Amino acid sequence: MSRPAPAGATGGVGARVRGLWPYLLIAPTVLGAVALLGYPLVRNLLISVQEYGMGELIRGDAGFAGLANYREVLADPEFWEVVRRTLWWTLLNVVLIMVLGTLVALMLQRLGRAMRLLVTSGLVLAWASPVIATTTVFQWLFASRLGVVNWFLTRLGFASFEGFSWTADGTAAFVVLVLLVVWQSVPFVAITLYAALLTVPAELHESARLDGAGGWRIFRSVTLPILRPVFGLILCLEIIWVFRCFAQIWAITGGGPHDATTTLPVYAYRIAQSLHRYDLGAVVSTLTVLLLLAVLIPYLRQLLRQEAEE
Amino acid sequence: MTNWSGLIEVTVKIRIIAGLSALAAAAALTSCSAEPSSDKGDGPRKITVWIMKDSVTEDFLARFTKDFEKGRPDLDLDIQIQEWNGIGEKVTAALASNDAPDVIEVGNTQVAQYSASGGVKDLTGKVDDLRGADWLPGLAEPGRIDGKQFGVPWYAANRVVIYHKDHFAAAGVKEPPKTRDEWLAITEKLNTGKVQGIYLPGQNWYTLAGFVWDEGGDLAVRTGGPWKGALDSPEALRGMEFYKKLQALGKGPKDSDEAEPPQAEVFAKGDVAQVVAVPGGAKIIEEANPELAGKLGFFPVPGDSAGTPGATFTGGSDLIIPEASAHHDAAYEVVKALAGEKWQTDMAKTMSYVPNRTSLASVIQDNEGTAAMAAAAAQGRATPNSPQWAAVEAANPIKEYMTAVLTGQDMAEAAKAASGSITKTLNS
Repeated sequence: MSRPAPAGATGGVGARVRGLWPYLLIAPTVLGAVALLGYPLVRNLLISVQEYGMGELIRGDAGFAGLANYREVLADPEFWEVVRRTLWWTLLNVVLIMVLGTLVALMLQRLGRAMRLLVTSGLVLAWASPVIATTTVFQWLFASRLGVVNWFLTRLGFASFEGFSWTADGTAAFVVLVLLVVWQSVPFVAITLYAALLTVPAELHESARLDGAGGWRIFRSVTLPILRPVFGLILCLEIIWVFRCFAQIWAITGGGPHDATTTLPVYAYRIAQSLHRYDLGAVVSTLTVLLLLAVLIPYLRQLLRQEAEE
Repeated sequence: MTNWSGLIEVTVKIRIIAGLSALAAAAALTSCSAEPSSDKGDGPRKITVWIMKDSVTEDFLARFTKDFEKGRPDLDLDIQIQEWNGIGEKVTAALASNDAPDVIEVGNTQVAQYSASGGVKDLTGKVDDLRGADWLPGLAEPGRIDGKQFGVPWYAANRVVIYHKDHFAAAGVKEPPKTRDEWLAITEKLNTGKVQGIYLPGQNWYTLAGFVWDEGGDLAVRTGGPWKGALDSPEALRGMEFYKKLQALGKGPKDSDEAEPPQAEVFAKGDVAQVVAVPGGAKIIEEANPELAGKLGFFPVPGDSAGTPGATFTGGSDLIIPEASAHHDAAYEVVKALAGEKWQTDMAKTMSYVPNRTSLASVIQDNEGTAAMAAAAAQGRATPNSPQWAAVEAANPIKEYMTAVLTGQDMAEAAKAASGSITKTLNS
């Protein structure tokens, strides 16, 4: 916010520069956001109402198509199946991530100094690994012939896992991807929640315990209400992160086998880059953004309300 | 709220923004801009040529560059080697740009797609100059759309069986098999102890296509109207059954193709008796393990009955000149030289390829590998002739189908699903 310029004729140039200063400081951010976010979004919307295939991309003469592309996508039963799969994928991952992350955070609180340091380091390392590096490690772990997972399961006596191909079976491929995404996400949740737990005054726990409350009761009635804002935020972030997850799925299964792991981002990419129907791809990605917003609106509203109350 | 939690909230909010930005980036995956290029002026006379990895040897390219530049002091040839992985996106982006390379090598299953896009220069008027009358149809046809020639045939190669002579001798196999039944019997004999009868990865779909054609089936058919995936026809299913039997006689992974791991390297370790590859593959094997020099033999993929080799996929490449190239005339000179007799002969001998014109075929007669290939070339087939075929390959349902069958899923059901997917892609 710019402060009102001081009154009087002597204000002059100095005051005007001082008034402009905040805008100058924020300009790079705004310009960056417009160039990197605004332009692609507008362009994407534009392509979604054009007839835009490989020929149009190369010749640059795309014509207006109205809402025909939206009608085509919305009338395709495959799209709705992908939507259902994406929602199921998001729900499953987010629930696992939140539950495991919370448990790890609670555990951290009770661990001794040395163990806590060890676990925290492990979490930070898992969190800091680049997505594709972790994905590659998972590919090796679950490799059919030389993978450690199959070796281990076979040694445990599950002979059917000898040479088992994890990416050939829809359910198995889905399981591998869920494990990977949960593995990559739990550290952030655990560390953030652990930090938040530190702010819960110890006296509250003590007095609750004196009143005869058990562990679960304390968590529900004392810890959870205090942490609610942080929980809400983390939940939003994880929903976004899981919903838009692309690199891991693309690298491991490419959306297969038989579309069993095709979520909306993968679907949009395949339509655009394999079929060269950039228009339909743009429709799917626009719908993806709208759908994600619809999922998030309740949380965002709650968040804003809390902020207003504070 | 305490101070630190304010801090956390700030970090968390930054992550929200980051998350939303990533979302916008995802939305932007599909946006690209295209400006038609108008500048065809002189510019610097640097001629850029994209050649695919492992198409020809570096030595061949060095010789060609030197010879080409000799009579043309105003031209500077810059040959850039491209990886196959992700090449579709890269070529598309190049055709849509305004500083495209001047000549691009494209696979013969992909050339139709580019030709139909309008981004490739029409060379119909040059066909006579290039002596196109006896071009190999498997290369010339995909490069021709509505009677206009966009792609210029460069080279072709069929797959043959490369075998390890020592393992054949040790198993008492004196003659290469003549029929597919014989082939199975021999391979079973070879597949003992440490030795793999054949190394056939589960997703070598070009090889499967050969068996399917041999049985009288096809990958997709068109009867008048729209295309239809045909992997679920009884003929195609018989082809897959044969593939499954053969694949079991070795340790080829069921869920990857011949590139992952590179099958030449697997063979080079010495414990594999047979592999299906283009004859040039023998050179890569010998490079990886010089001890195998002289121990490699070749025979055409056997057919149903003795005397007729099996149907095989004709692989190969065409050369195209992007409309967006700034040096059309110089680019044409490069194409003419590469597709002309001198370098065709050189390349056929160096790489064991089939030259682009049938009248040049005699230059490869005295080579064992290319002789096996030439015998099979008569049965050469191409993938369905549709610009959309490249899209099928990009998200290949045939590979998924093969892995499904080899890992014990129901063949008829998997074939139906794959056919449905092919139908949808070809008609979209």
